[in-house]
Amino acid sequence: MKDIIQVKNISFNYADQPLLFDNLSLNVHEGEWLALIGQNGSGKSTLARLIDGLNVLKQGQIIVDGLFVNDENILDVRNKIGMVFQNPEDQFVGATVEDDVAFGLENRQVDRKQMHHIVESSLKNVNMWDFRDRIPANLSGGQKQRVAIAGIVALSPQIIILDEATSMLDPRGRQDILNLVREIKAKNHLTVISITHDIDEAAGADRVVVINHGKKIDEDVPDKIFSNTEQLAQIGLDAPYTSQLIAALKRKGVNLNQQYLDSERLIAWIKQLVSNK
Amino acid sequence: MDKAISFEQVTHTYQANTPYAQNALADVSLVIPNNSFTAIIGHTGSGKSTLVQHINALLKPTKGSVQVLGRVITPATTNKNLKAFRQHVGMVFQFPEKQLFEETVIKDIMFGPKNYGVSDADAQQAAKSAMKLVGLDQSLAEKSPFDLSGGQMRRVAIAGVLAMKPEILILDEPTAGLDPRGHKEIMDLAQQLHDEDQMTIILVTHQMDDVVNYASQVVVMDEGKIVKTGTAAEIFTDPGWVYKMQLNLPSSAEFAQKLVDAGVPVGKLPLTIDQLATKISQLVAEGADTDE
Repeated sequence: MKDIIQVKNISFNYADQPLLFDNLSLNVHEGEWLALIGQNGSGKSTLARLIDGLNVLKQGQIIVDGLFVNDENILDVRNKIGMVFQNPEDQFVGATVEDDVAFGLENRQVDRKQMHHIVESSLKNVNMWDFRDRIPANLSGGQKQRVAIAGIVALSPQIIILDEATSMLDPRGRQDILNLVREIKAKNHLTVISITHDIDEAAGADRVVVINHGKKIDEDVPDKIFSNTEQLAQIGLDAPYTSQLIAALKRKGVNLNQQYLDSERLIAWIKQLVSNK
Repeated sequence: MDKAISFEQVTHTYQANTPYAQNALADVSLVIPNNSFTAIIGHTGSGKSTLVQHINALLKPTKGSVQVLGRVITPATTNKNLKAFRQHVGMVFQFPEKQLFEETVIKDIMFGPKNYGVSDADAQQAAKSAMKLVGLDQSLAEKSPFDLSGGQMRRVAIAGVLAMKPEILILDEPTAGLDPRGHKEIMDLAQQLHDEDQMTIILVTHQMDDVVNYASQVVVMDEGKIVKTGTAAEIFTDPGWVYKMQLNLPSSAEFAQKLVDAGVPVGKLPLTIDQLATKISQLVAEGADTDE
């Protein structure tokens, strides 16, 4: 499988601060959903900003779809990546919701008729078409984030980076947005990197990379990562809900020989246990 | 006085007298008792933030009246008279660390009290005790707030609100964006302010597990109206209704509902992981009804 993003031996620190990354390497496979997990301050968001060329490396290389992230390639690199940030207020430029989504397309000189079509379908995708004439500032936090996501989707990038993008949404809104991104990912053959400390969001990924204090401390499929509940606790992350339930059951004398199962398998196990009696 | 806040038939219209006029609150009546821990829930855009912004007079009702600690706000209240409200009602917005601006932590926390005419010495005293309340070490006082971690910055912002010694504290999604450790610290702080400092706490949240674990009263909003008030157990008793409100169940109730759907007779939906584990262990010990 092709690696659409290669992070090679990078080092980075913010001015007057110790090294955040010291010789960090990791790859993102084309077409995968990669969850990057770790606590606040672990360096997850900085890594995303380095990939998008928003911060500049001290050492090492980052290659995005064959292009080195450097001054010369920066616009081409950014055309390949759509970044959705935690707080959409930082990204609004348009006077109305519709204008805001159109902004990126105007920048790319998309034909006017086609632009209207894209804006409409993008807004409908995030359930915000009815709000097209509204002023973004008057929307609630969750609605704003939907509009921001529509703006990214409109530009049809190859890679979407969700930087805590759903952390402000209610659980249903979060699920809706994740489903939406999943749909778009499948339709357009995208690669998704989701930076999150929501373990249940990470459980839906193809692969999980665990970052702690700027170091990659683990990298595996969710089943393996979440079986190591001690490691999760150590770096300040919650165990997935099912692991917590397995532990609570153990305290009541109901033993499962594993620390993690996804919901479906845990339900099947409980059902069997209950009806075997 | 046993009620801290009451709303009487409050309507609030945004962009009034324009084609975009919309009622964000429609005929809302509500009582919030003193020293209660009230959670306000509702899907995105249901009017939660508009509701709480009336409590510290950031918004005035378009119709009706709001009473806070014995003071009344009506559409006719002049803006000059609103400042008095805010001194007693602390408001922590989403991402409050965005509002930090001073050179040092202590100056930032002192800003609020000084703004209300408190002397430098008293403001400093208030700031120091607020730092203690939120668990910020005094050694951070002279640091720039911008050199702190996200969780610490949020504490500085909350300390700035607490330094004004409010009787009512409104927390609008105070844990958004924090990792699980930071989340628990902030929620435990809210509980401590409620239990030990007798504050009236109002929590706007999407986290149903926090509602179960911390709130004594729950207010559910939908389309600018209050559609239900009660304890967490009363609110979450009807999963179909909760879903209709576009809300989620607490994690354990949701998992239990999936077990029910799979044919495991869980009975009354549990609200906590301990209740669910107890129920499952009983079913395992007794054998489920279906097999007997």
